[in-house]
Amino acid sequence: MAKKILIIEDEEIIYSLLQKKLTEEGYQISIAKDGVEGMEKMKEAKPDLVLLDIVMPRKGGFEVMEEMRGDESLKGIPIIVISNSGQPVELDRAKELGAKDWLIKTEFDPLEVLEKVKKQIG
Amino acid sequence: MPKNQNKGRRQKEEVELSGIHERRKTELKELERRTKEIAESRKALMNILEDAEIARVEAEGERDKTLAIIENFPEGLLFFDQKNELSSTNPKARDFFDLERENILGKDLETLREIPSLLPLMEILGEELEVYQKELKLTERLVLKVSTITIMSAEEKVGTLVILRDITREKIIERLKTEFVSIAAHQLRTPLSAIKWTLRMILDGDLGEISQEQRKFLEGTYGSNERMIKLINDLLNVTRIEEGRFLYNIQSRDIIEIAEGVIDPMKEIAKRKKVKFSFKTPKREIPKVKVDSEKVSLAIQNLIDNAIHYTKSGGEVKVSLRYSKKEKQILFSVKDSGIGIPKEQQKRVFTRFFRAANAIRAETEGTGLGLFIARNVIEAHQGKIWFESVEGKGTTFYFTLPT
Repeated sequence: MAKKILIIEDEEIIYSLLQKKLTEEGYQISIAKDGVEGMEKMKEAKPDLVLLDIVMPRKGGFEVMEEMRGDESLKGIPIIVISNSGQPVELDRAKELGAKDWLIKTEFDPLEVLEKVKKQIG
Repeated sequence: MPKNQNKGRRQKEEVELSGIHERRKTELKELERRTKEIAESRKALMNILEDAEIARVEAEGERDKTLAIIENFPEGLLFFDQKNELSSTNPKARDFFDLERENILGKDLETLREIPSLLPLMEILGEELEVYQKELKLTERLVLKVSTITIMSAEEKVGTLVILRDITREKIIERLKTEFVSIAAHQLRTPLSAIKWTLRMILDGDLGEISQEQRKFLEGTYGSNERMIKLINDLLNVTRIEEGRFLYNIQSRDIIEIAEGVIDPMKEIAKRKKVKFSFKTPKREIPKVKVDSEKVSLAIQNLIDNAIHYTKSGGEVKVSLRYSKKEKQILFSVKDSGIGIPKEQQKRVFTRFFRAANAIRAETEGTGLGLFIARNVIEAHQGKIWFESVEGKGTTFYFTLPT
């Protein structure tokens, strides 16, 4: 069965490109455009991996991670943070909250995201 | 009495009288001389007294002026004598710590430490009032820069002056500027990453076939976008340097591995520009260095980037990494046969936003931040950075990193 990936990202170009790239690789993709929608879809679909943006409307990435950590059924889901910021303090906070990996959008491209995804869930 | 006898006596008396007369005359002259002398002395004394009075008035005037300057000085001043006892203060200094002059004058360091409001200052001044320059955050609304100066008079120490400058406003402006740049950079990066990802996927053929001509233009656009990203990253790095949190992730690393990570992609750029490129490393194994590898990579990249950019096609860039066991350090050098740095501008090479006149002519792009960042990175690792350059012949940059 195809592995499920939830992309929580507010920027259309970014999630569309990721969706295209990852669907072609055989993953089953669902998209949430902010943290609130992200939490709903996560509880519903129980994805194998979450690709998570940090700065988003309504609920940001850090809050999503905090909520996931407090929820027994969600805390085991691996998270890869995709952010526009590479501030070391944020990176540390993400690690502390259990992110498996972190990438800065201006430094990486979709192909490298795919590699990181494969590393986590094959 | 015989006549002759009388005559003789009179003659004798006359002689005596004339003697007395002569003596009187001499004495009178002497008296006149002395009187004159006394008058002169008196005059001289009066003159001296007058001068002394003038000097006293002048000195008082000077003292009042000095006191007025000290009293009205916009920075807080505390003067400690040779015994490290507080001998004078100005109102500004007392205001900072909410102090009364009578309670602190003549007190030694230990006694001053017992005054709660003074404790933070006394702590940074230490036991010996060492020469210092440090920031002291008293409250959210009061940040001071504390400097101490040893005051010498005729090669002898007469005391220590502590100067307190209110830098609260400067700190607020600095913070606002940093926040602004940080937010602006983040906002600017968001659309740039969208452009980067789209172009990358088009170029990788993920969004369908493209023609050779389309590819050529899209590759150019991709390059421009990458330059824009670099510019913003440089700006962010400068802000981070100013925030004092530039070195972040110190680990024991293999410097050759770090250098290769930077150099491999740069070889391609050199090749495209037809610049001969070489990288020499020691044959024997070298000790690891404790570095923030991301930052050291940035420094190396900035140096090589400049070398390639400012060397014409057909030129050469030689990068070398050596290890000195004796000096316990890595010596890294980047030598180019490029345009060089004009002698009169060499002093400013490491200053922020500096770009040499001939560099601007050769290449209009460039932020003037690369070398500023490189210097800050290397110096934050206790390394040294310097260069040798002859305009028109080339430049060699060197840096060291302790092992």
